Amino acid sequence: MKEEKYIEELVGKRNPFVVPEGYFEQLTDQVMQSLPERRPRAKAIWMRPVFYAAASVCALFVCAAVWLAWPQASAPSQGPMAEVVQQEPDDTFFDEAADYMMLDNQDIYAYLSDY
Amino acid sequence: MEKYDDQQIRQMLLKPETQRRGFEACVRQYGEQLYWQVRKIVLTHEDANDVVQNTFLKAWNALDSFEGESRVLTWLSRIAINESLDLLRRNKLRITVSGEEPSVASSLIADSYFDGSETEALLQEAIAQLPDVQRTVFQLRYFEELKYSDISHLLGTSEGALKASYHIAVKKISEFFKARD
Repeated sequence: MKEEKYIEELVGKRNPFVVPEGYFEQLTDQVMQSLPERRPRAKAIWMRPVFYAAASVCALFVCAAVWLAWPQASAPSQGPMAEVVQQEPDDTFFDEAADYMMLDNQDIYAYLSDY
Repeated sequence: MEKYDDQQIRQMLLKPETQRRGFEACVRQYGEQLYWQVRKIVLTHEDANDVVQNTFLKAWNALDSFEGESRVLTWLSRIAINESLDLLRRNKLRITVSGEEPSVASSLIADSYFDGSETEALLQEAIAQLPDVQRTVFQLRYFEELKYSDISHLLGTSEGALKASYHIAVKKISEFFKARD
């Protein structure tokens, strides 16, 4: 590259920085003295996979318990729909309403003849 | 003093009973190389010393996260470069707040740990004006003569992007000097 050559010819690649005398000889001791004692790896971190597995099993048990306690919850949409379908062909609802009002067919005819 | 290769140091760092000895070997073997990488980014000896000390302290505290997959020097260089760039950002913020910014070249010439010519100081000034990534790529490529693939591992940037950054940096620096002619 032309520009790179230009910089190299003008300035060169020499390292113009210097360090205090004996700096690198003392660096290792300086660094090592500043380091804190390392604590052994926390057990909790090592045990994490075990905790995750135990938590998953517990969650599975809870789900199974909920499932068994409410078996009808497995097919919630079939009940009401079936009722609607069964009610439509006959007059169950009308009969129940008539029973509730303690009316029979004759009473109904009598009411109708008044109009 | 016994000399170890990267593989041996890696093995020592992974075992709790040899960690401290391994780390000492690592500081002894890589300390100087790391210092020069850092110094060329932060420029002053005081800042470079702070960054190197912090780098080793951070590496020591994060030893559990070192899985031994990469070379020890690559792992340390990554921490050192991040620390250097953090320091530059903090310094930039400090200069912005105080409002006074002496020229890099004049500061270097007055620095007793700078042994370069005026042109060399001006090159550092031109480099200091570059954005962080271009500045780091230029220092690692031009002075350290690292391969783009190695710089890519250190900075986590693609080789293509690094090549583009280097070319832009070189262009800006040559324009800086041409403008002074």
